[in-house]
Amino acid sequence: MEKKIKVVMAKLGLDIHWRGAVAVSRMLRDAGMEVVYLGNQFPEQIVNAAIQEGADVVGLSTLGGNHLTLGPKVVRLLREKGVDDVVVLMGGVIPPEDIPQLKAKGIAGVFGPESRIEDIVHFIHEQLKQFAS
Amino acid sequence: MEEQKNQLFNQQVIEHIKKGKEVWMQETLKNKAGDQEYFTEAGIPIELLYTPADIGDMMYERDLGFPGNKPFVRGVYPNMYRGRLFTVRQLAGFGAPEDCNQRIKFLLANGATGVNIVFDLPTIRGYNSDDPEAEGNVGVCGVAIDSLQDMEALFDGIPIDQISSSVVTHMPSTTVALMAMYVVMAERRGIPLEKLSGTNQNDFLMETTIGSAPEILPPKHSFRLQCDAIEYAAHNLPRWNPVSYNGYNLREAGTNAVQEVAIAIANAIATAEELIKRGLKIDDFAPRLSFFWDLCNDFFEEIAKCRASRRVFYKVMAERFQARDQKSMLMRFHVQTAGITLTAAEPLNNIARSAIQGLAAILGGAQSLHIDSYDEAYSAPTEEAALVSLRTQQILQVETNVVNTVDPLGGSYYVEYLTNEMIKKIEDYIALIESKGGLVAAADSGWLHREISDFAYQQQKDFESGARKIVGVNYFAAENSATKAIDVFRYPAAEERQKAKLRALREKRERRQVEKALAALREKCHTDANIMPAMIDAVRAYATLGEIEDVFRQEFGLWQFPLV
Repeated sequence: MEKKIKVVMAKLGLDIHWRGAVAVSRMLRDAGMEVVYLGNQFPEQIVNAAIQEGADVVGLSTLGGNHLTLGPKVVRLLREKGVDDVVVLMGGVIPPEDIPQLKAKGIAGVFGPESRIEDIVHFIHEQLKQFAS
Repeated sequence: MEEQKNQLFNQQVIEHIKKGKEVWMQETLKNKAGDQEYFTEAGIPIELLYTPADIGDMMYERDLGFPGNKPFVRGVYPNMYRGRLFTVRQLAGFGAPEDCNQRIKFLLANGATGVNIVFDLPTIRGYNSDDPEAEGNVGVCGVAIDSLQDMEALFDGIPIDQISSSVVTHMPSTTVALMAMYVVMAERRGIPLEKLSGTNQNDFLMETTIGSAPEILPPKHSFRLQCDAIEYAAHNLPRWNPVSYNGYNLREAGTNAVQEVAIAIANAIATAEELIKRGLKIDDFAPRLSFFWDLCNDFFEEIAKCRASRRVFYKVMAERFQARDQKSMLMRFHVQTAGITLTAAEPLNNIARSAIQGLAAILGGAQSLHIDSYDEAYSAPTEEAALVSLRTQQILQVETNVVNTVDPLGGSYYVEYLTNEMIKKIEDYIALIESKGGLVAAADSGWLHREISDFAYQQQKDFESGARKIVGVNYFAAENSATKAIDVFRYPAAEERQKAKLRALREKRERRQVEKALAALREKCHTDANIMPAMIDAVRAYATLGEIEDVFRQEFGLWQFPLV
């Protein structure tokens, strides 16, 4: 049997709006993935959890306006610890003009309001293919 | 007979209408109603046509009454908007307090009639702007407040003895600190406390259920602080609403209209029980309890919700708590249009959504209103977008004539039927919460979190399946090119300025006084005494918000959010 894709999902920093993160977590589970929901965490704890859990994907949710500071920090800390085969995704209220900057700093994908779960699932499968070989 | 005088409809007429409807269905309507079933957002079936038979046993004075009279279904004031228009209360909150002060003045200069302040996340969660945990969040999504001097800068030049301020403090642990800062700020300006008019949010569910955070106080301690603030106001702030039971954020997080109202009223019930236990009488504090509703897109259901919530609250206060003062029995509420219904696709469509929701608020008899801005799926509103919201309120007030008669939908067969159904469902859900041990226990066990999560999950599934249609998103989805780029508000950089102010403050203040005041606050945590007097002393000594909240975190301990 194929190993389940493992997702570590976190609310980024102090942001309080958990609706999206929890709904997406439950729907990724429906899609056959294993999801560890961390609740609110800061980048250091998120990276530690991702490493301990052997995560394939890290999902970061924020509607709190801290995406440009704390999002790329998660990628940087992962790289510093020698982890470069984890897909880091973000979701929440993120102005479109900030997305190129996030992508340049290693965020693989950004899923704003109105995203569909099938698109997120498809994106995760495509991204993980590049690490498969 | 008294009963006959009160009965809205003659029962013979009702029988006649029932028969008439049967005939109409067979001979006129035939099969033209279609097979599809329709439901309100809360799941109440919608009939094609309502008649007096659907509300045939209603009694006018018992079930509706006159506005300003029990049971307040038609409104809390006899003259409603002719007496005083709903307060135009647009939110403002970003940057350092000096930045936000400018936006408040801009809104007031353009006709806003009240102030409505939202704080940044470090402030809401009780961290100073120079705390490592605040990184990236200072002055974002709200204004940063670190100490009394920031509160003074925020309200500098704002006539707080003449206009009311809504201070959206979210959690009780922050409320008690920010409320103390507001009180001391007023004191220093020479404004008597009895002149202060306004509202704190102060809802323990914001701390433990609706919002999540890395570090949370346990529900029973958060609830105690909520009640401390209300008790303090009952003695000292006669025109202040020390709580705004927050149905709004429950709805945004994931509840239907019934749950929204039921949970908020269950919180009022828990508060009343606690304060009566402390020796207060219901009429000492109930007149200043206020509520906060979220009006979504199901137009008639939202109006029915507003009307029903007044009736349920009346019954709770009059029958259960035996209130004597009329003011204890009438529910006043603020409305904000539903952020959750705004779309990032084709953002100008949000102006239409918000206007429709705002209209529902007026038809529902709201006391104050914030209309969301079209760009809020991207960021906090730009000045231009905030002005459109303000203008929408003014259009409703002076161009549509909807404000000039009280409860214009009263007597609509459908709206009255729906109001009755909502009342039943709200009361049933309150009973369900009580069967879980009451609201504090329901939050502590995680039951409430599960209810919210289940609803959010189901709504997302309905959206994905297309059962729930959103224009421009899954119904005539906008092509990317069709979505015109809009200006997105950029927050002014506030972090460094706030940090510099904190450094200067720590130099300037009397260190020993701060320590003494914080020690006194710490000691009060472990007593039954009200926290507010010690809090006011701490604030006056320029203890920072972060220092105050650290005392709570250390003394009350932290709680694991029961959500996985």
